[in-house]
Amino acid sequence: MTAPAFSRQGLARRAYPLTGLSVAIAVTFLAFLVPAPWGPVSLYVASIILVALAGVGRAIRQALVVCLPLWLFLFVLHGLLGGGPKIDLGLFALSADGANAALAQAGRFGAIITISLGFYRAFDPSRFLNAVAARGWPMHFSYLFVATLHALPAFVQRAATSIEAQRTRGLRFSGGVFGRTRAVVPLALPLILGALAEVDDRAHALEMRAVAKGGKRTPIDPPTDSWPDRAVRWTLWITVVALVVWRFVR
Amino acid sequence: MSDVKFDGVSFRYPTGPADVLRDLSFAPRAGEITWLFGPLGAGCTTVLLIAAGLAPRHTGGSIGGSVSVLGHDPQATETALAGQIGFVTATPQLQLSGIAGTVWEEVAFTPANLGWPIERIRPAVDRALEELAVEHLSRRKPGTLSGGELQRVVIASMSVLTPKVWLLDEPATALDASGRALAYQLFRMQADHGATVLVASEDVEALALVADRLVVLRDGHPVLDGPPKTLLAGDAIWDEGPGSTAVAALAREAGRMVESSRFAAPYPITVEEGVARWR
Repeated sequence: MTAPAFSRQGLARRAYPLTGLSVAIAVTFLAFLVPAPWGPVSLYVASIILVALAGVGRAIRQALVVCLPLWLFLFVLHGLLGGGPKIDLGLFALSADGANAALAQAGRFGAIITISLGFYRAFDPSRFLNAVAARGWPMHFSYLFVATLHALPAFVQRAATSIEAQRTRGLRFSGGVFGRTRAVVPLALPLILGALAEVDDRAHALEMRAVAKGGKRTPIDPPTDSWPDRAVRWTLWITVVALVVWRFVR
Repeated sequence: MSDVKFDGVSFRYPTGPADVLRDLSFAPRAGEITWLFGPLGAGCTTVLLIAAGLAPRHTGGSIGGSVSVLGHDPQATETALAGQIGFVTATPQLQLSGIAGTVWEEVAFTPANLGWPIERIRPAVDRALEELAVEHLSRRKPGTLSGGELQRVVIASMSVLTPKVWLLDEPATALDASGRALAYQLFRMQADHGATVLVASEDVEALALVADRLVVLRDGHPVLDGPPKTLLAGDAIWDEGPGSTAVAALAREAGRMVESSRFAAPYPITVEEGVARWR
């Protein structure tokens, strides 16, 4: 069993759980609705600030690691291989239209990945479950949502245990690409088979613990949905709807 | 009186070549700890899964005969008899909700799912934590506990329901000596208060002292049924496969080497009994 991945520092501790979820979803929509290229880029900057304020700054670094290869690919694809007027930069010529497109896509990816990882790291399963229970959400749906988010850290910890176990049995994970690739099978196989073997036991336990019973769950110490939280959520959704209308009506 | 009844039950897993249970008829009595014991593959765990309503619903397979738990057919109910049965297995980490932030919330998880009012949940959780001596862990994250602590928390998360039926599959495997003593003391107390406690376990040394009735299964069929102290002291339990306590094994082996009434059946099954006989 793994420790929960959530952090309860900064804004994440104070905000109502559905506010974080709303921000993550709204940013995903907004990334495609705001005018490119500077809209998505600004959204990315805003996402970085929000995630830092939430007290989960590590998500910014992780998002950067995920984004860098994507950005490089976008730059080559659109900036170097793109058509239209070119800007001569000495060593290479940059497509002006392509650079704009690459910037817009890079901003979208950056914003979505940063805000999603920030939400994931700030997510507190227990607070979320209590919040949605207080709102009368069905237990099946809430549990499925929470357990899905919670499965990843458990899987990562299991992988770490599996690596240690295989190391003690002489499997080497260092070396070149070939050596590492060869080590993947003895690592992944027990990991996947072990996870599958546990599915039955976990399903039995959860059924005995009334997860499948349906009906309303009693919230235990539900978090308060304050007016600033509600204001943030309403503002976000109104903005999304307004931008959708603007996009399709203009 | 019995809350759990098996009548001519047979069961086969979907991939199994033969029936795991064959014509199984027995009824653990309320107020008693009934101990299911048998060699590997005897069907003890399957009995518990069927009583819980998890087999064949979750496991697949085919079942024959009739089963009654708390007056219901566990197969006919839409979900397992959650909240009425205390179900504990040997793998505590797989029985956790996986989403509780603290031990207190973990124990409160099932009552909350059942929709108990919060005024009922709070004292029930506090009592269960106290019973298992884990109240000092109440604010810890479940993921940071040791295996033994986790198992206590899992038992507490069932004890909170004060179930009428306990189905226990190797419930003390992860526990240290003091944890085992505490857990069996709790099960004893539950039985004394009228609960039906059905344990499938190879923990011979502990259950020899705490169980009221021993049912030995072999190839999915009961072959011995009686008081544990009588059955464990005899030769039949060795003939049927599972064996007995270490002291009984010692006496039996000694009896093979030395012809003496001091080593003849009925064998002593505890250290105290051995000392009393061989002193």
